[in-house]
Amino acid sequence: MKIIVLIKQILDPAGILVRRDKEKMFINREEYILGPDSKAALEATLRLKDAGGAEVIALSMGRPRAEDALREALALGGDAAYLLSDEAFDAADIPVTANVLAAAVQKLGGADLVVAGRESGDTSAGQIGSRVAEALNYAQVTDVHVLTGEPGAIRATRRWGGGYATVQAMLPAVVTVAREAFPARYAHGARIMNAYREWQVTTWNAADLGLDEAALKPLLAFRGESFPPPLPVGEQVKGAPASAAHELITALKLQKVIG
Amino acid sequence: MDLTLNEEQLMFKKMFADFCTKEIRPKGEHIDQTEEPPEDVLAKAVDQGFWAALVPEECDGCGMDVYTFTLMLEELGRADMSTALILSVHNCLVVKPLLEHGSDQQKAKYLEALSVGERLGAFALTEAGAGSDAAAIKMTATRNGSGYVLKGSKNWISNGSLAGLFLAFAKAEGGITAFLVEPEMAGVKVGYREKTLGLRGVPANTIYFDSVQIPEVNRLGAEGKGMEIALQALSLSRLGLAAIALGAIERSLEEAVDFSMEHIQFGGPIALKQIIQNYIADAKTQIEALRSLVLRTAWLADSGQEYTQEASIAKLFGSRVAYEVTNRMLQVHGGYGYMKDYAIERYYRDCRALEIIEGTSQIQQFLIARDIYKAKGLEIRP
Amino acid sequence: MDFSFPKEHQLFRRMVREFAENEVKPLAKAVDREHRVPLETVKKAAALGLMGVPFPQKYGGMGGGEMGYCIMMEELGRICTSTATVIGAHTGIAAMSIYLDGTEEQKQKFLTPLASGRLIGAFGLTEAQAGSDAAAIKTTAVRDGNHFVLNGAKVFITNGDIAGIMTVMAVTDPSLGAYGGITAFVVETDTPGFSIGSLENKMGIRGSSTAECVFQDVRVPKENVLGQFGAGFLTFMKSLDIGRASLGAACLGGAQAAMEGCMEWTMAREQFGVPVATKQSVYFMIADMAAEIEALRSLIYRTAWLIDTHQPHIKEAAICKLYGSEVASRCIHKAVQIHGALGYSRDYWVERAYRDARISEIFEGTNEIQRIVLASNLFRPYGLRIPS
Repeated sequence: MKIIVLIKQILDPAGILVRRDKEKMFINREEYILGPDSKAALEATLRLKDAGGAEVIALSMGRPRAEDALREALALGGDAAYLLSDEAFDAADIPVTANVLAAAVQKLGGADLVVAGRESGDTSAGQIGSRVAEALNYAQVTDVHVLTGEPGAIRATRRWGGGYATVQAMLPAVVTVAREAFPARYAHGARIMNAYREWQVTTWNAADLGLDEAALKPLLAFRGESFPPPLPVGEQVKGAPASAAHELITALKLQKVIG
Repeated sequence: MDLTLNEEQLMFKKMFADFCTKEIRPKGEHIDQTEEPPEDVLAKAVDQGFWAALVPEECDGCGMDVYTFTLMLEELGRADMSTALILSVHNCLVVKPLLEHGSDQQKAKYLEALSVGERLGAFALTEAGAGSDAAAIKMTATRNGSGYVLKGSKNWISNGSLAGLFLAFAKAEGGITAFLVEPEMAGVKVGYREKTLGLRGVPANTIYFDSVQIPEVNRLGAEGKGMEIALQALSLSRLGLAAIALGAIERSLEEAVDFSMEHIQFGGPIALKQIIQNYIADAKTQIEALRSLVLRTAWLADSGQEYTQEASIAKLFGSRVAYEVTNRMLQVHGGYGYMKDYAIERYYRDCRALEIIEGTSQIQQFLIARDIYKAKGLEIRP
Repeated sequence: MDFSFPKEHQLFRRMVREFAENEVKPLAKAVDREHRVPLETVKKAAALGLMGVPFPQKYGGMGGGEMGYCIMMEELGRICTSTATVIGAHTGIAAMSIYLDGTEEQKQKFLTPLASGRLIGAFGLTEAQAGSDAAAIKTTAVRDGNHFVLNGAKVFITNGDIAGIMTVMAVTDPSLGAYGGITAFVVETDTPGFSIGSLENKMGIRGSSTAECVFQDVRVPKENVLGQFGAGFLTFMKSLDIGRASLGAACLGGAQAAMEGCMEWTMAREQFGVPVATKQSVYFMIADMAAEIEALRSLIYRTAWLIDTHQPHIKEAAICKLYGSEVASRCIHKAVQIHGALGYSRDYWVERAYRDARISEIFEGTNEIQRIVLASNLFRPYGLRIPS
């Protein structure tokens, strides 16, 4: 099976301090990481590879620094990695991003399966998987919690109301996976070393993908950001940890939250 | 000036050394490993008068002066620090305040029991939210008909599960007030025993006071006098801790000297190495400096002079030196010092407590600095 | 000059940190209390290449060099000194001695299973009367045809009871002394005559085992002579030289953890109506920790760079161990103080870290020995010999 995983590099949220009261965001440490949803997508893919063998290709659109995310994907078990980077992509909105990714999938000769995270760890739009599926005219299953391969198809369990539904999709298909269902593995140390020393990340620009200006014209424009309203303060328990814990437990018991 | 011991002090010193070496020292390892409070040792110590060290002779006590008392703690510290701390708490923090602030009725009721080993004293001041900031205690004493109702809990109470009498502090209408609380009173519960780095023979418990009805006669001193009583008692016990530290480092030095003469490296005992000699010489120097400090502070106390600041100094210096000396003496032992088969391993852990208990070093530093600035008219706050 | 870490090492650090936080931390308290080696962690570490970080991939290693190895030791030291000790003794001295002086065949046969984590290694040097004075060992190896017969006992051997392979130093010619009369051997611990005596009951690093290893007519094939015959002392000292840098790295992690823990606690703990972090007595202690930690970090990774670029490093590695262990001790001492009674309680990690830290001033050459190594290196160019 040939599987293409769509991944995204994001600013590490652990390095950001948000002060709602001052409506300010402080970046204490500017470090970019492979987003947790992308890691889950990779994990789902690598499990298919472990189970039945597969060629895993990681694909990311981003700034040149996103190469690190692709190398991490190689370290985790990817077989090849492609970075789609061009200044012409800088203004890309979600439809444009999906166009670029779909063009790259086609340039790679298509795939049996395309896997992405349910949403990204920063913008959380949750559209990429669906839009790429539309652009490629592949079947799509979103919010997948269990994923297994079958001859010519995949079987996926997705959220369905309060429970789950299991569906079978004929290949080629796109699935987006739930972050919580695929906790990522650790990369083997030797693969980490090789990801930088031995293995390559191929970079393609707009011209390589045959994308003209029309295909890169965004439909949305960014017009600023704002803070959510402050959370209402509930009951606060103060004091030393031991006594505060005691107080908290008593309060929770009184409200029958715990037995 | 005369620093020689008088006949009585000499006699006491010999008695302490004999008893501690024979009866307590051999138990030290067992006490630490099993974490069992040394009840048998404590029972034997009753006959030696260790429970009534500071009780006047006319009340059937030993009537030791403070200096003699520090000699006792020094020997105890040399033999086993857990036992030393238990007896220090009992004498300094319960018996002594009772002697100084107790009514005749209170003394009649408790002094004998405290002296003959029936009731061991414990000092219930610290709370979860009130460690260094002792005045921040939350336990309350509410007046009702015949006395007070105590509500609250205390943490880290040394001697907790062994205690026969708590000197407990609570906020009453008139301020922080001291109470004599018997563990058999309804509502007193001995809770969780802390697991500690060292001093593992000392049970340090959480004590719950769950609406404990206390008769008014069990209030020690007036309402609002509690902090004064506590601080006065702590002065003596801080001096006591310095004396225990002194005994502990003397023992550490003994252990290291013996080891260094037996352990052969590079063709001879390591005692022949200059660095080992330097470590030993430094330790001895620190021991004698501490001894002088303890002696002088005890003399201040015995001659009726103010010694609060000196007690803080003795505690600060004694605990620091205790750490430094045990650390170095452990180093002399090399790998053996890290093994539980050697006493130095235990002393290193035990001594670490001294920089924390009964007022951390930082609090002692604050108290000392506060007094210095106060004399110059500047008030500083913690 | 470029002080930045290569990107692969940055990614490696993130991986090890996650591994340490998620896999090692949950066991740290239990292995200390139960006095047992976390073999399950060793197994997981092996699956990620962490049992052979500094060694080339052709010997089953990870190819991370000394820098990668120091990164791992720092991250493990930050979470659990016992685990760092188990993996450190295995990698930094046991496998390292084979890597440094083993023949190609020995590396294939012994280093590969060690580096891939299939077997655990131990380093058999110390004896009851040969601690700092390592040359005073009494264990003998006598030639018998194609074999050497080993007799004697080693003490304080980290991993002794769980090791599959042990490098052992033994006297082959008492008349020649340390240089010429001592030879290093690779001993497979399933060889008849090898047995474990007592296990030590220690103050700290209780999640690592420290064993007495007894050799009674242990027959070792002559192919297992490690390095030149008669030059075993040099082989062992070379391994220890390198091991000291990574030991310092583990101390760096310990010191870092102490500081991070203090910051967290002092921001949460209130006394006198304010967080104790706002008290000068407290934040000066934390500032002092930070200063020493940064100095140590520079020292450790500079030394790792010296080792990776094959430059002289004996003096620097000794400083790593000496300074690292003392910084760690000072930081954790302050941490106990800052945590007060909580720092003295066995329910909290500070107490364990305090006990664990103390060993670093002692093992792999006491700090007194490091000072001798340093002074010898300093005076040697002037022709003055420093007596031990």
